[in-house]
Amino acid sequence: MAFYDHFLQIDHLSKWFATEHGKEPIHVIDDVSMTIEGGDFVVFVGPSGCGKTTLMRIVAGLETTSEGRIVLEGEEVKGPDRKKGVVFQSYSSFPWLTVFENARFGLKFRDDVTKNEKDGIARHYLELVGLAGFEDFYVNRISGGMRQRLAIARTLAAGPDILLMDEPFGALDAQNREFLQVQLLEIRAKERKTIIFVTHDVEEAIFLAERIFVFSARPAKIIEEITVSDHLVREASLELKETEAFFKLRNHLMAVCRAQAQRTEAMIMSPNAAR
Amino acid sequence: MLSERDKKGRFEWKGLFTFRGGISRPMELSLAVASFTILLVFWIALAESGLIREAYLPSPIRVAIAMYTLFAEFNFIKDVYISILRVMIAFTIAALMAIPLGILMNTYRIIGATHEPVMDLIRYLPVPALVPLTVIWLGIGETSKIALLWMGTFFQLVLLIADAARRVPGEYVEICYTLGAKTRHVLRWIILPAMAPTMVDNLRITLGWCWSYVIIAEIVAANEGIGHVIWISRRFGKMPEVMAGVLAIGFIGLASDQLIRYFHRRAFRYLE
Ligand SMILES: Nc1ncnc2c1ncn2[C@@H]1O[C@H](COP(=O)(O)OP(=O)(O)O)[C@@H](O)[C@H]1O
Ligand SMILES: [Mg+2]
Repeated sequence: MAFYDHFLQIDHLSKWFATEHGKEPIHVIDDVSMTIEGGDFVVFVGPSGCGKTTLMRIVAGLETTSEGRIVLEGEEVKGPDRKKGVVFQSYSSFPWLTVFENARFGLKFRDDVTKNEKDGIARHYLELVGLAGFEDFYVNRISGGMRQRLAIARTLAAGPDILLMDEPFGALDAQNREFLQVQLLEIRAKERKTIIFVTHDVEEAIFLAERIFVFSARPAKIIEEITVSDHLVREASLELKETEAFFKLRNHLMAVCRAQAQRTEAMIMSPNAAR
Repeated sequence: MLSERDKKGRFEWKGLFTFRGGISRPMELSLAVASFTILLVFWIALAESGLIREAYLPSPIRVAIAMYTLFAEFNFIKDVYISILRVMIAFTIAALMAIPLGILMNTYRIIGATHEPVMDLIRYLPVPALVPLTVIWLGIGETSKIALLWMGTFFQLVLLIADAARRVPGEYVEICYTLGAKTRHVLRWIILPAMAPTMVDNLRITLGWCWSYVIIAEIVAANEGIGHVIWISRRFGKMPEVMAGVLAIGFIGLASDQLIRYFHRRAFRYLE
């Protein structure tokens, strides 16, 4: 059993990126703290360039912290490993492998599973994301939406404790995007994984999330935390987006994000004001 | 753009004059044949017209006869074999060294930062100017020739390989690490396959350069090889033989290029 207080703990996290020699470092994340419990579906929203991706990458162990720390299941995050699966927006699956080989790649570096078991697990997750029948296709032969589903299958096949998704549906058209949102909720209902999902799309955030963290313009600070079920009854159906409660929450979040986006623009117009 | 069906069709004129339009395979082939024919006809006309002296531009028929005589009476096949062997040995050594080093230059900063500037300088040294050096250091034997070819290709290739490795999207590498891979796994299962198509192209192009360097190496104090035949024929004023030798190089270069292209198409089907 677990011997830790919280599944994931982000503890006074700050991040600066070094820039060219002699110039001031960019401040990207400013003292962010939060706790996430096992099975949570958490969405980060905020204006473009505020530091959402950076925060997610730090949780994944793909980027270091400047100050503060991340503790996952009682252990401090030091680098990437199989516990933290990632799904990127682009280059999310390998073009030189077939759909099946891509899904199976998730298990490639495990010696605790036999070859046959790996085949079985890969097939299971391809079926789960609705890609059964496309096993022998190369990635450039399937649609963008299917590629993202494939990336989800591969990541789940690896058996991570947490799934980190960085605008995974950001490059898809509106219909495909909604279709995948519903499918992601369905997959999660079966898998009960902890998910951190990054987006700048407010509707996507409300539709998917149990909890939403709204970030300020750079450097990212948490400006609001919303528990979605306090505002509406969550369901994995697009009709939810037509409800009054959804609308109200959406308008509220839009207003908050718009104000932050304006701050970003002001910063770009006059660089000194950013300090 | 032509659809998949059109591409397979026999002769398709549509698209030939469109900006970046498609072309059918048979059409592509016949146009290539046509270009060569026109070139040949032009050459024959020029040579037969008497405008240019035979000693400068022999007619293609004379060149063809010279080519035949070289093979039939002067055992030219042995020279061809020797030249191919030299290129193959030097190129294989260069590739076997350049591929791992190029990848490592991109993997570990220390290797990249120490090697890249040096390689960058050396690759700008003109190969013909290195001939005296290799002769003084290594004499006029095989080693010296192989060394020259190696110098001409290795330094170019290693930088091209390092660049190909650098172009592998970081996402692929990161995904691999989050699946529990170690660095050696990433090199084997991500970097290598992801860069392979570019790498094969790099090899194809540098092999072509190697073919021009072999002539330079063989012109200086060689007893056999296509370059040697060209040089000896020149000394005796046998222009058709000179051109036959030059053409032989052209054909072999073209053949090896096409062979690698064919392999590229077969091996990297997923790019289609
Ligand atoms: N490796 C890096 N080096 C320097 N600056 C970076 C790096 N990665 C991101 N940044 C900067 O950090 C800021 C936040 O980026 P990011 O986390 O990608 O924002 P978001 O995902 O919210 O759009 C941006 O201004 C970006 O230019
Ligand atoms: Mg981002």
